[in-house]
Amino acid sequence: MAIPAPNMGNGPTDPSSEAHMLVTQLYDPANQRNPTTINEIQTRLQHLQKGENAWEIADSLLRQPSAHHRFMGALTFTVKVNVSGGDIDEPTSWQILERLINHFIAIVDQGEQLMVVRKLATSLVTIFRHKASSWKRAIWQLAASLANGGYVSESDAKTVDFLTGVLPALNTQKATALVFFSVALAEEGLRLQMEPQLAGWVIQRLVENIEDAFLLVQYIIQQITTHASEASSDSLEATLSNEAMGSWKTWLGVYGNHRHSDNKQTQGLAIACGQDIIEILKLPSFSENAASVLTSALENRSWAFDTHSTFSLSQILSDSIVTRHLVSFTEEDSDADNMTYIDLLVAYVSHVSFDLFSDPMKHQNSQILAILHNIFKIPGYAAIDESATTRVLEYWGDIAECLPDQLEPSDSRYQIVKSQVAEVVLGMFNKLLYPTHDEIADLSDEERSEFNAFRHEACDYLLSAYPILGIELVSVFQESATGHLQKLDWRGFEAAMFCLAQLSEAVDENGHADQCLDSIFGSEAFAQLCLGGETGIPLKARQTLVDSFGKYESYFERHSYLLPGVLNILFESLNFESCAQPASRSILTLSKSCSRMLTTELPTFLDRLDQFRSKPTATVSTMPKVLEGISTIIQKLDSDQQKVQTLERILGFFVQEANQARQEAASSGYDIARAHGHLVLSCIASVGKGLRSDGDEVINIDATEEQNPFPPSFWNAGAGSPVQQLIMEAMRLLIVDFPVDSGIIDSACDILKAGYTESSGLFVFPPSLTVDFIKSFPLGISGTDVIMATASSFLASHGSHPMQIRDQAVQLIAHVSQLFASMLDNPDIYDPETANAGIDFLARLLPKYYPILFSLTEPLPTASGPISQGTPIFALLLQFTLHALRRPEPLVLRSGSAFWIALIDLRGGSPEETAALNEVLERFIPSLCETLIGQIAGHCARSDLTFLSDVLRRTIFKKMALARPSLTAALGALNAQTTDANGNQTPILSAHDKSRFVESLVVARGARPQSLEIVRSFWLKCRGMAFDYAQ
Amino acid sequence: MTLCLNRLQEERKQWRRDHPFGFVAKPIRTPQGTLDLKTWQCAVPGKKDTLWEGGVFKLDVIFPDEYPTKPPKCKFTPPLFHPNVYPSGTVCLSILNEEEAWRPAITIRQILLGIQDLLNEPNPESPAQADAYNLFKKDRPAYERRVRQVVKENPPM
Repeated sequence: MAIPAPNMGNGPTDPSSEAHMLVTQLYDPANQRNPTTINEIQTRLQHLQKGENAWEIADSLLRQPSAHHRFMGALTFTVKVNVSGGDIDEPTSWQILERLINHFIAIVDQGEQLMVVRKLATSLVTIFRHKASSWKRAIWQLAASLANGGYVSESDAKTVDFLTGVLPALNTQKATALVFFSVALAEEGLRLQMEPQLAGWVIQRLVENIEDAFLLVQYIIQQITTHASEASSDSLEATLSNEAMGSWKTWLGVYGNHRHSDNKQTQGLAIACGQDIIEILKLPSFSENAASVLTSALENRSWAFDTHSTFSLSQILSDSIVTRHLVSFTEEDSDADNMTYIDLLVAYVSHVSFDLFSDPMKHQNSQILAILHNIFKIPGYAAIDESATTRVLEYWGDIAECLPDQLEPSDSRYQIVKSQVAEVVLGMFNKLLYPTHDEIADLSDEERSEFNAFRHEACDYLLSAYPILGIELVSVFQESATGHLQKLDWRGFEAAMFCLAQLSEAVDENGHADQCLDSIFGSEAFAQLCLGGETGIPLKARQTLVDSFGKYESYFERHSYLLPGVLNILFESLNFESCAQPASRSILTLSKSCSRMLTTELPTFLDRLDQFRSKPTATVSTMPKVLEGISTIIQKLDSDQQKVQTLERILGFFVQEANQARQEAASSGYDIARAHGHLVLSCIASVGKGLRSDGDEVINIDATEEQNPFPPSFWNAGAGSPVQQLIMEAMRLLIVDFPVDSGIIDSACDILKAGYTESSGLFVFPPSLTVDFIKSFPLGISGTDVIMATASSFLASHGSHPMQIRDQAVQLIAHVSQLFASMLDNPDIYDPETANAGIDFLARLLPKYYPILFSLTEPLPTASGPISQGTPIFALLLQFTLHALRRPEPLVLRSGSAFWIALIDLRGGSPEETAALNEVLERFIPSLCETLIGQIAGHCARSDLTFLSDVLRRTIFKKMALARPSLTAALGALNAQTTDANGNQTPILSAHDKSRFVESLVVARGARPQSLEIVRSFWLKCRGMAFDYAQ
Repeated sequence: MTLCLNRLQEERKQWRRDHPFGFVAKPIRTPQGTLDLKTWQCAVPGKKDTLWEGGVFKLDVIFPDEYPTKPPKCKFTPPLFHPNVYPSGTVCLSILNEEEAWRPAITIRQILLGIQDLLNEPNPESPAQADAYNLFKKDRPAYERRVRQVVKENPPM
């Protein structure tokens, strides 16, 4: 295809005139607020740009006096080349190129606006990357053409040396235009490298330009360094210099992917360019851009720097205008947002890594280290007012983390790094001071979060430094904390305690820092603080202090004499909203780990609890923790009699509260009543958790069937009985005729479960309490899964003597079968949660209670529906689990699968039991096989296959004799059809397919991956898909 | 193994250099104080303007020797109330499943952002725990109350 010659026609109806008019309208200020008109203009313009007259339009627009029109002319070339695809052959591409180059030269000569020059440079790149183009040394040819003032062919261009002949002939405008093109070409190269399989030929040609591109950069930078030291930052020289540096960065990206196959000459050139750019750092007008480009290259293309480069950089960073910029950062009126030089500094020190710590220390390195430490003196809060501290701290974190892997402690440089790491610890302390109360009020939530995040980053650094500095590090903060506490300097004390709290991870358990910590916690000032009252300690310091107590639980366990004072502060702190959460957490932690030592303090704690429970800070997030803590101490009292008194005092209060919640519910304050009831039951449950014995009692697994599962004890028949009645009363008040709520159900279940692991105790209730509780909930309520999980835990707790609670087990199973019967008989009320929870309950009871389950051969007395009437309970339950395997709800199907796996895995404990089991399986395996085959024959969801396949493989592997004929029969009944190419109906599965499926499963011998693969292929085939989309 | 550790070193570097606001991701320390690059302690903040806003949820990210060929396992500690988090705390998310959408190019940053998205956009097709799933499907107000409680119990550090 030959492109038409330029057309100068400008009659009113010709496409060029129309395009001209459209561009005028596009930029007409009157149309700017009218998106509909703009859209219409753009649509028409794009139509013309893609049409047969596009070449003439492009030519014509490029000759217009307005830059907007010329910009559109360049864009039209790009659009037309892009849409022409196969219409452009190689000769045509050369024609287009010649025309574009001539336009390019013309507009550059006319002093065109830079945006138009850039656009036309992009058009040139578009033709370069066209598949028909064979343009190779594009930069050289374009440079020669610019120097010549008109198009020069590629072969003619190469007759003049690029560096010594062509480049010196370019003035600043032409050189700038050439760099624009070079950058656009490199950027296109980076894009194309993302899809090399599509652009191999273009990339090959592009790579031939890398050396020319670097030569161009080098030539320009050297010219700038020599002649333009006085140029202003907005001059054309500055633009040229910035473009050249940007070009270096972009071409490094292109070259990076080809570097390994190169002869290293180009790499040398790339490095030389970098060295020239380093020199540019000294020129005030260009320095900042050079810093930015060098930072990016140091971070991403470290190979572009050799020892000479790093030496030059170290000199400039330590003694030049760059140094002055870095030092000025610590001044009050510095531009803290401008991170360019800090970024360069950090990129440099990260690049040289441990070479910075030379022995003997070089002057430049020492200067750079001083600058790094100085960063911590920048005014303002880190991460709020300035980001330099965070940036520099990240670097030190890397150094501290890597030191143990890089240098031996015996190495003299190790000691140098160690001292620097220690200096950072001291230097950053002031940066950790929390903003004052007034300052905090002025900060946004985000700023507060940023500062908190910085403090945690800083502590991450401390933890990295600990293996290097050891106890010395803890001593620094201990001395700081002690000093500040004595002076009542709460900000300093808070910061020091914050650091100590974070270091607990390294020193609490091993006791390495005990002596150090004694100096704080054993001090007179700390003893004063423990007395409480008006200490003047601000909230933030209090919050950090109470948090740190919980972090040093092992220390306080070893120093129990300090506990009363510490717990005094903790209880006092419960009254403050911002401290209540960490205080309650720490009370729980310390009470648990030091419970035995705290029994003498119990009366005081109970008094404090009485004061706390009426405070607004006593919430469901705080009060249960405090109660659990106190209960762990109660558990350690010597006698049950002593326990009764304290527990009665605690629980009596909650019965009153439960009564109040009922009154609230009666007066329609549903939400208040619900929250109140939830709080009461959560607190009682946490008492149960705290009272759990330590678990060192031996559980008697040989208990005989004759043993009573609920023998009379101190707590159910003795002096403790009234206390147990209090709990049951509170539960009754909040369960019976009280609004149903999932939170309340959760807590009530926790109360019941608290005693399941105990042999005797306050929370060991009569079995009937659990059974009545579970049976009291109707079908479909939210929380059924938690209720049924409690039923499972209950049965599990009696797993050693199932026949002793046969009646309760039967009641629970009958309850579940009643729920299932309702759903089978009335599909409208089907509740997936109940189905899933009920089946899960059955699966869990199978191993110990199956003889009871399969003995239920009578129908439910109340069953009257079409399915349940006359069906034995056990059969009804199994029928429901089969039904579950056909359900669309994933959890129901999964629990159904788990049930059948558990059933197939069962082994009878006696010949009678085995016979009974076999009878059940013989009856149900045909239905199971039919269900499974029906589902995996394309009906179930793909994600269900894993579960159904597990049931199938177990059935085949463990019950082969029963399964094989059942599977064959089920497969035989499959009759899915498909339409063949002739429009005839044919079966999807042949008899061979079906028998091969069974045989393959048999051969897989129950192996999970193989079986699943066979099942998946079968499912795909049944769905009429010959391939697996996932592969 | 080397590939795994090299990649994790690089991830650590990238994370230190730039990570989304409010997120935490760092390798745990051994008792000797050195880093165990194959187990990271992370924290994901609830997204702004969602139910989960204000909470920061801790999780462990455990990398197998075959990482990045195989995905890491992400486990909330303690287990989180969420329809797509297993009772053990393990997150059920397609980009963390080798047989689904895992690709070796997926970064820790993308994983944690993906988990943050999942918090407020549970996938009901892939339930992992009955507790949260049932409430989510059946009683949305109760689900939301519970989430608000979870948020309260997981305040920012």
